[in-house]
Amino acid sequence: MIALLTGMLATAVLAGGVLALAALGEVLAERVGVTNLGVEGLMALGAVTAVMTVSSVPSPWVGLLVAGLVGAAGGMVFAFGAVVMRANQVLCGLATTFMGLGLSTALGHNYAGQPVTTTFGHVSVPVLSSIPVIGPALFGQNILIVPIYVLLPALVHFVMFRTRHGLNMRAVGENPAAADAAGIPVMAMRFWYVTIGGAMAGLAGGYLTLTYVPVWSEGMVAGRGWIALALVIFAGYRPIIVTLSALLFGLVTALSFVGQAHNWPIDPAFLNMLPYLGTMAFIIVPVVVWHRMRRVMAAPAALAQPYYRDVR
Amino acid sequence: MAARAFQRLPSAPAGRILVLRLVAIVLSLFIIAGVLALSGHSPVTLAELILRSTLGSRFGLEDLALFMCPLLLTGAAVTVCGTIGLWNIGAEGQFYAGAIAATGVALGLHGPAFVLLPVMTIAGILGGMAWITVPTLARAYAGVNEIITTLLLNFIASLLTYYLTTGPWRDRISGAQVSTQRLPVAIPEMWGIVHWGFPVAIVIVIALALVLSRTRWGYEIRIGGANPEAARYAGIPVRLRIISVMLLSGGLAGLAGMFEVAGTVHRLQGGMANNFGYLGIVVAVLARGSCLNVIPAALLMALILDSGIVMQTQQLSASVVLAITGLILFMIAIGDELAHYRPVASTTPKGKAS
Repeated sequence: MIALLTGMLATAVLAGGVLALAALGEVLAERVGVTNLGVEGLMALGAVTAVMTVSSVPSPWVGLLVAGLVGAAGGMVFAFGAVVMRANQVLCGLATTFMGLGLSTALGHNYAGQPVTTTFGHVSVPVLSSIPVIGPALFGQNILIVPIYVLLPALVHFVMFRTRHGLNMRAVGENPAAADAAGIPVMAMRFWYVTIGGAMAGLAGGYLTLTYVPVWSEGMVAGRGWIALALVIFAGYRPIIVTLSALLFGLVTALSFVGQAHNWPIDPAFLNMLPYLGTMAFIIVPVVVWHRMRRVMAAPAALAQPYYRDVR
Repeated sequence: MAARAFQRLPSAPAGRILVLRLVAIVLSLFIIAGVLALSGHSPVTLAELILRSTLGSRFGLEDLALFMCPLLLTGAAVTVCGTIGLWNIGAEGQFYAGAIAATGVALGLHGPAFVLLPVMTIAGILGGMAWITVPTLARAYAGVNEIITTLLLNFIASLLTYYLTTGPWRDRISGAQVSTQRLPVAIPEMWGIVHWGFPVAIVIVIALALVLSRTRWGYEIRIGGANPEAARYAGIPVRLRIISVMLLSGGLAGLAGMFEVAGTVHRLQGGMANNFGYLGIVVAVLARGSCLNVIPAALLMALILDSGIVMQTQQLSASVVLAITGLILFMIAIGDELAHYRPVASTTPKGKAS
């Protein structure tokens, strides 16, 4: 039983890392008032460029860096449309997803199905990894787990809620006109946080192919970008809650693995539906059960609204 | 900085939008030509080949009509939802649900085609409606974002199709992979391989345009989309209208799935939705909320898909089409926004420097 629990938690942490990175990036973008529906496409681009990079430069760090840079570039393209040109955010986001999915498949054509040999290896932190159940999951897998689950969310939480810059940032998402009047550069804030969010989506894609599923294939992102978007709503745009919910979500994924490994009498196709069904339940059930949820976990007031200085 | 200033109009004039969209499409084509030239393909010969084998050949035109048929319906599905201000990103899943329901009828019941086809049609519509039910109720009663819920169901529908076509309904006769056997009935063909679903889809789109513009229900939907608060104040049951519109939208996408499975593919196959649901979003955007505009928009989208077939013969992967569609959508989104701006005299204090 302990072994099963340990194994499940390890899988959950590994699988949830993809979502935690992407969702945390989306929290940044949505907190400054921009919905980036392009996450799925940016993740695919990150995943494929990481594979392409490590096949010529055998270093997972370089692969991850390139994935992040490609994500940032894609985020900038989206931000050019949605922030600078102030075009419809839903359309720009969908367009980014289409471009990302199409381009990644075209780029990855020659790499599809080949196992990636340069991945982030197994590390175990001496004392910490021997803690029962959570030790192997957090400290006995790969070097990225602690940054993803502890350092990054803590940093984002600190900046967002404990610094003046974070206050400015949230002001841009809640009331850009007031923020503008107070001298906060609304457009720059939005542009750069969307770019950082894109970079994190790219990193999430790179993490996917460099640790969790070390092979590129078309459609391998499989809706994880959309699930990340749903987690952001579920977590009420809060960095630490979004990370925890990514972990919870990793558990749902782990459940389907455990089911297949133990030959549960359910067809694998149905077990594979669990993450999507779980996400649906995540965003519908809390609101239905607890009506105040919607107010407590409310979206930034100016979310998805372009800002025009001269049109109030 | 030039001394020109611009003023943003609350709504963009149609003529300006048309011009800017043409500019956006031409710009996209130039970017695509540039990328193709860089990757060692000659854009000019490719363009010639595409024109010759799409509009210039009988087979190309037949394929064009076959592509248009599902796009008309999924485009209309997204458009009607957009009328009340909602996004149905799940037409892909509803398409599968419709196809599954229709296939279930065709494989499970026995009878003459003139009985089976209407039953399959109804099953397809109901399948699409069933698939959008949960997002509809969640939206109407709990205000849950319909973009995410409709989208997530796409993955579930595609997994369900995979399960059925490799499991209980797998082809036991010819052994085709991820496919059912050939259905015993088919929608009759009217011109080459083009089946009667195509004219029916056009009639449906025109009928929808009339319903939305001429009936009380359509009026209430439009008001509900333009200003939900005002609609509620005026006594329009907005919640009920949301439910009816979303179910209609799901039904349309389900019907697209039924037409595709009974008219074009003749079997339920994994991956048969071919992005028609997602491309329906592009069609709806191109149509700018008008059902009549869905017809030319679906034609344009079908042309892009049709040229995708040609590109595949030239060692370009099919996914290039998705990237091209994304680029065009992106440029059009920017063009539509720019259409709101009007140059004004530079001395206007409220003007925005360009």
